[in-house]
Amino acid sequence: MTFFANFCIPFILGATVLFVTITIKYISWLKSLPKSDLKLIVKGILSPQTLVSIWEVVRESLLHARIFRVNRRLGYMHMSLAFGWFLLIVVGWIETVAYLGFRWVPLQGHVFFKYFAALNGLNAHIAIFDFVMDLLLLFVLSGVTLAWYKRRNSAKLGMKRATQHIFFDKIALTALWFVFPVRLIAESITAGIYGGGGFLTGGLGKLLAMTIGSGALEWVYEPIWWLYSLALGIFFMAMPFSRYMHIFTEIPLIFLRNYKLRPQDKEKSYDNFEVEACSRCGICIDPCQLQQQLGIHDVQSVYFLRDRRYNMLQQKIAHNCLMCGRCEQVCPVGINLNTLRLNSRTSMRNIPNEGRYNYLRGKDYSSGEGKVGYFAGCMTLLTPNTLNAMRKIFETAREKVWWADKDGGVCCGRPMKLTGETDSAQGMMDFNKKLFEKHNISTLVTSCPICLRVFREEYNLKGIEVLHHSEYILRLLQQGRLRVKYSTEQTFTYHDPCELGRGSGIYEQPRAVIEAIGQLLEPAHNRKNALCCGSSLANTAIDDKQQLTIASGVAEEMDATGAKTLVTACPLCKKAIARGTKSKVVDLSEIVAGNLK
Amino acid sequence: MKHVIIIGGGVAGMQCASELARQGVKVTIIEKESDTGGKVKNWHKLFPTFTPASEVLSGLRHKIAATDNVTIKTGCEATEISSNCVGLASGEELSCDAVVIATGYTLFDARIKEEYGYGIYDNVITAADLEEMFNKNDVRLVDGRVPRRIAILHCVGSRDEKVCQRHCSKVCCVTGVKQAIELKQTFPSADVFNFYMDIRMFGPGYEEMYREAQQKYNVHFVRGRISEVSPTIDNRLQIKAEDTLTGRPLKIGVDMLVLLIGMRANDMNAKLESGNGLLRQASGFMQPKDAFLGNAESNVDGIFYAGAVTAPKNVAEALCDGATAAARVADWLSKKE
Repeated sequence: MTFFANFCIPFILGATVLFVTITIKYISWLKSLPKSDLKLIVKGILSPQTLVSIWEVVRESLLHARIFRVNRRLGYMHMSLAFGWFLLIVVGWIETVAYLGFRWVPLQGHVFFKYFAALNGLNAHIAIFDFVMDLLLLFVLSGVTLAWYKRRNSAKLGMKRATQHIFFDKIALTALWFVFPVRLIAESITAGIYGGGGFLTGGLGKLLAMTIGSGALEWVYEPIWWLYSLALGIFFMAMPFSRYMHIFTEIPLIFLRNYKLRPQDKEKSYDNFEVEACSRCGICIDPCQLQQQLGIHDVQSVYFLRDRRYNMLQQKIAHNCLMCGRCEQVCPVGINLNTLRLNSRTSMRNIPNEGRYNYLRGKDYSSGEGKVGYFAGCMTLLTPNTLNAMRKIFETAREKVWWADKDGGVCCGRPMKLTGETDSAQGMMDFNKKLFEKHNISTLVTSCPICLRVFREEYNLKGIEVLHHSEYILRLLQQGRLRVKYSTEQTFTYHDPCELGRGSGIYEQPRAVIEAIGQLLEPAHNRKNALCCGSSLANTAIDDKQQLTIASGVAEEMDATGAKTLVTACPLCKKAIARGTKSKVVDLSEIVAGNLK
Repeated sequence: MKHVIIIGGGVAGMQCASELARQGVKVTIIEKESDTGGKVKNWHKLFPTFTPASEVLSGLRHKIAATDNVTIKTGCEATEISSNCVGLASGEELSCDAVVIATGYTLFDARIKEEYGYGIYDNVITAADLEEMFNKNDVRLVDGRVPRRIAILHCVGSRDEKVCQRHCSKVCCVTGVKQAIELKQTFPSADVFNFYMDIRMFGPGYEEMYREAQQKYNVHFVRGRISEVSPTIDNRLQIKAEDTLTGRPLKIGVDMLVLLIGMRANDMNAKLESGNGLLRQASGFMQPKDAFLGNAESNVDGIFYAGAVTAPKNVAEALCDGATAAARVADWLSKKE
């Protein structure tokens, strides 16, 4: 039996390049993983996490369950391509076995089986395979049609904007579009000449033989198989350098992620798996407020990851992001978009200034004494109504409070981290951590979600419970230490701050507090889908006018609820939203302090 | 007889009215408050001469009273404006041959800069509040004590992107110097600090006044904006700022903080733009037809501007504007015949 023809060369070449490149990439990434990550892998590999990962690979890499959840039509498109192609390969392999028994067949023998079956005179066709293979091909072709249609008209598939692709992606994409239609034609022509084929290839083959004659078919027979092999070869060759690298990379990523590997505030080898697992599907583009409200189209996560991957990331792209997390929320691959952007910023901007915070040494402006510590944070100090309200709440609840920074303190460090000055931020974080530990508190309350996040995630405060004031106030209400007046006359609407909601998962506590006082009316976007106020400290690229545009959009949605008072639970959001409306904008603590019984 | 409607009875509107009336034009002033005089009505003394504001107003009122051609409608708001007709909130419609918009400006609401504690802490007041205190001859702290240390903060709601006020309000610097001198005259032993970004002494006699404040009255000038204000246990105010000349952070306790609130464009300017096609500048103030040769005309024929409706201006400039607008209106009326 012969399993070689000259037209196979482009395919063999492509497959070799693909295999070698991917192997080199994965080995070098794995080799440069930090020791701690390697330990996690060793620990995880023999754990149930491996089985969990296998199931996740089936669900995500083949069936694309997460995309289905975001958008059904997009989900079908991705599934038909990935799962359909996968089944074609598997069923194709079984078909070979069915025809030839268990024997070694080179790769091209499987891929171009219809050609070699005809060449080797295997004319006893097994109808069931003809049917199933045609059905699968139709399944994939439906996906290709959708993909092609999406390029023309992305809105019809539920995407207002599709990704703008680079040269390599366009080559790979074009080749991919050719692969299945050409396969259809090649197999149909083969069926037209030699017989066989299912309802699709067989039918089309007969039709072709009837209309243009078998002489003409024989004349295009070799060239069409060449074209199929070329399309595959070009696609495979472009694949590891294009967005299609995601097809393979998502698989190791799923395993590593389940072994608890995560990107951190400094770049490391693991990040490669996340960066190259991005399929550039562009689902992250639509929810981006910079795109929706400001018409900025080149900074979204898909472009950030692309630029980072090809080492052409510019500061102006890396820094133009609100880090609101709206894109992370919908990313079908589950990439840690914010953390990756942060560590890119760190690589670009982290120039530790050793002497900068020397003046902090030994300073302690704190006052009062108590088991509960209160850290206002810089932004709360700039919104003293919140501070006054908290003072009143503490007094009413007869809580003894240690005031960490009322008369001057040090920033929590997160704003510096957000700009990429990780090491300088560490200086401030160390200072505050020592301060908290020195004063023997058991609970730390803050009104600022930005501080809250860094205290919880990075301070590693042992024996100190960190609470946002919304959680703390709710607890006081539940314990009966604080009582508030309720009136249906009072109507409120609530803005979820990004750092509090998507960032820290606190959605219900502030709502429960508001509902104890009056009626809560929800804005159109809320909870996980809440909008960003626009004044995010993470974005140093947009100007005040642009911030105001975003804030006005948020305020408009809140005003549309008809609520008399707009409530939020972040001093930064409060200031931002207040700029965009004439309505009263207050912090959660203010309505509590104003309605105490 | 030609009829011109002037919207706004501040100094610019009154000056314009008296000049037109003198030339035999019938004038109606539409004033939304109960009396004419605009913002100047609430001011105590005017820089740089310390002339009582009331003197300027009574001079203008005399000029107007000297003719029979001016009707003043107070407590009356113009809602619809076109070059030949003005509609009032009462539903009344007045026809006319030209309109002068002399609606001035709005004082920046200091509550927006929550960090300065206006409306939150005692003894944080605005420059306008201080003038009122001077008018009543009753400058003191809320508890009746005499202030021993006073801070004056420049640029509150001016040159501040954070509150979308990029423009310079122009008159606050010299007002700060004037009020510092007045405070020193009232409380010779008090310390008075001016916190500023730049000192812009653009007018005649201003620079001399600034020098005098330092040399004769020993007023302190610190280059740096106040970042935040907080109360102290003894009910004073603690100010955090940066002295940008020495590059050091600074904290001082004061008894009183005066906020030099800036001039903001009126909210109604947006309506003038959308309803009448009048051009507006990025700052929100109205845009004159030409910055040099047409600064009293709007881009719409028959509609003119006088005073601070087009930009922050001091009293002298507003008066000049009133006269210029009158001349332009008279010229236009004569061409219209």
